[in-house]
Amino acid sequence: VTPLVVTGLGVLSPFGIGQGRFASGIGSTAGPGRESACRVGPGHLAETFDLSKYPGARVAEVPSFDPTPYLGDKGLRSLDRLTKLLLVATRLALGDAGLKRDGAWVGGAPDRVGVVVSNAYGSLEAITELDRVALLEDARYINPSRFPLTVSNSAAGYASIWDDLRAVNVTVTDGNCGALDAVACAGALIEQGRADALLVGGAEAMSEALVLAFDRLGAFGDGACIGEGAAMLALESPWTARARGAAVVCTITGYGTAFEAPDRETALVHASPRALARAIAEALADAGIGAHEVDAVVSGISGLRAFDRAELAAIEAAFVNPCVVAPKLAIGETLGAGGAFGMSAAAALMTPAGGPGQGGRPAAHGSGAAPAEAAGGVAGGAGPGRCVVRGSLRTQPRTVLVTSLGYYGNASALVMCAGAR
Amino acid sequence: LLPRVFVTGVGVVSSIGLGRQAFCRALEEGRSGISPVGSFDASALGRRLAGEVKEFEPSEHLTRAERSRMGRCSAMAVAAARMALDDAEIDAAVTAGPRTAVILGTTMGEAQILGELEHDWITGGPLAVKRALIPQYGSTLLPIHVARAIGAQGTVLTLPAACAAGNYAIGFAADLIRAGRADVVVTGAAEVIQQLQFSGFVRLAAMASERCQPFDLNRQGLLLGEGAGVLVLESEAHVVRRNGQPRAEVGGYGLSCDAYHITRPNPEATGSSFAMRDAIARSGLGPADVDFVNAHGTGTRHNDAAESKMMHDVFGGRRLPISSMKSMLGHCMGAASALEAIGCVFTIETGIYPPTIGYETPDPECDLDVVANVARRGKADVVVNNSLAFGGYNAVATFARPGVLPSPHAWSYPRPHPRADGPPAFSSGSS
Repeated sequence: VTPLVVTGLGVLSPFGIGQGRFASGIGSTAGPGRESACRVGPGHLAETFDLSKYPGARVAEVPSFDPTPYLGDKGLRSLDRLTKLLLVATRLALGDAGLKRDGAWVGGAPDRVGVVVSNAYGSLEAITELDRVALLEDARYINPSRFPLTVSNSAAGYASIWDDLRAVNVTVTDGNCGALDAVACAGALIEQGRADALLVGGAEAMSEALVLAFDRLGAFGDGACIGEGAAMLALESPWTARARGAAVVCTITGYGTAFEAPDRETALVHASPRALARAIAEALADAGIGAHEVDAVVSGISGLRAFDRAELAAIEAAFVNPCVVAPKLAIGETLGAGGAFGMSAAAALMTPAGGPGQGGRPAAHGSGAAPAEAAGGVAGGAGPGRCVVRGSLRTQPRTVLVTSLGYYGNASALVMCAGAR
Repeated sequence: LLPRVFVTGVGVVSSIGLGRQAFCRALEEGRSGISPVGSFDASALGRRLAGEVKEFEPSEHLTRAERSRMGRCSAMAVAAARMALDDAEIDAAVTAGPRTAVILGTTMGEAQILGELEHDWITGGPLAVKRALIPQYGSTLLPIHVARAIGAQGTVLTLPAACAAGNYAIGFAADLIRAGRADVVVTGAAEVIQQLQFSGFVRLAAMASERCQPFDLNRQGLLLGEGAGVLVLESEAHVVRRNGQPRAEVGGYGLSCDAYHITRPNPEATGSSFAMRDAIARSGLGPADVDFVNAHGTGTRHNDAAESKMMHDVFGGRRLPISSMKSMLGHCMGAASALEAIGCVFTIETGIYPPTIGYETPDPECDLDVVANVARRGKADVVVNNSLAFGGYNAVATFARPGVLPSPHAWSYPRPHPRADGPPAFSSGSS
């Protein structure tokens, strides 16, 4: 990629709303007696559906999610959870980057700002809702105002409508790797002058269908937890950010991706350390750095044993005594949004507390101002404590590699560096 | 120096024919692929027609192992990819490895797999859901299945850009080659008709009952279609090295988002006009250089009016020939603009503009030179492919006869949006 700077973050995670909460959440899980955000049913109720049918299921939801402080209370009824998560994350990132203030453009223009979002499974909530009506009642009764939600790029389309982002709007899907690929797409779009700033990241919403799928495939028994949320990063070229005097959180300097077919012709799902090894090598070469320059690896390790082993094997083959961080152990498997949380974790690692990139300033317009505390007033910059699964974390790493390993032989990796380059 | 990107092969699974030759013959003849829906009972919905692909038999294109691990959407994509590589006369040994990428578009991917999973769950409970089917859902899988079939090990990416997905995929695929990240990209899009989408379009009152009549005064709406269109893109150096034959050159593409309404296009056509101008400018050309437009032309009142406005905005008083393949295929959703891109390649190779069938009464609101009912011959050096999609996505791609476009390094890049009504852009970008 051509270097891209991160100038703002908008993060909604199972630790709450705001990059600050996410950063301190993945840090605060350190130490005895502290828990991750993952909840095990049926002792814990899920907020979005009845979890009691799935004993042993582990889920991590964005707690008591209420978008109205950020979006106002009009026009929300026809939207699903996925869209609302994405809208709030986008709005927070726009505010944090200083592109918008109180709903008005200050550092950007609608025709020069766009969206690139990764999402793996679309709105299963809306699809199931309409399928229930069609199967249990009559297809003629499905709600036409909810039908658009079933289309895969719906949430991204709404993000453009709600914040008037007209430059480009892209949804990418590459399973768990999509959010890192979204950055590569964004890099090309910015380099080609199609936008000055792009809100880039991923969103995935909790749904019973996902829990059912994980449950039927035995993934919970393995130790997996399904998370949800949205993480959006404002990306710009370093020159653009400098020209408007934007504070730079960190810089993206390299990207790699690879695909490997399984050895068995009949296999479909498989964990490929080879693919990730190639993606890592390509990302390091793209960034023009050696393996010894990487201070930490933010991995996609999530509790699925075969995939965790493969990811760790590829990382340990590439680095000597690496420090490996696994935020998904605290927030659950966030699928298409996973890489975006990985980038947010990397940003948190590299950002001194109180510095830029806390993602706290809401850019709410319409009715209601965001409560300061809910907006992530918690200090960021905390290290992701218990999420360190290998090695030890040096204070304020300068260069972090983010990795994602897909379920089908796909893998991507991204190099991020502290500050502006 | 940016390399030129060529289309060297195309593969088609469509309601009017399988493979390039059958498809192009049908386009020239103006054959309709519309027939009564056979894959589910649509009678209660008051609509019964669609462009279903009825002659596609997966066992003729896929191995038994492949068939066991994928749904119909991926199967159509894999079959079209194989046809495209055959058409390009590329050996499998050439596409194997990390320098080959697969980028595909779709709207819903394996919608029929999801439909079956949901049906079993909702009517029979969680335990009725077939475990083996669960990992087969997910749009991620389309390029993965194709990559496995052809030995590609580079980028695999799905762009679910609704009805503009084909143009998105082709544009991003060409970028990958121009950026030096791939020599060959197998790209395009695939879509299947599924009951939920069919019902949804009926409930949105967007579906015609008998005919899809783009730009006609009495048009009633769209008909759904399905299929897969796959193109092999190669860098010029790669085509020369293997002694391949370019069918067309991929020019620039333009993108914008209406940010107006989730299903309807902006009637002012501001964003779509920008995307079209940008696609032409990014090819190093001006509007006067364009010979033919392969329309989005869905047959809905809103789309066709907005697209007509877009044509007038970009081409002024010039009446440029325009035609909609959706009159024959129906609206193949994610696959639409990929199949239409293949139509563009056909036009460039033969000088034949496919007709808009069922065109009877001109609409003053769509004052266009529609290629009505019978194919027309004309100059076809530069052809533009429109797609205006759900979510306000506008994607326009340009294709040209090899040798017509100026060298890509001369293509101009950044330019401000023509109608910014916010404060001035804070930068004109960088190249």
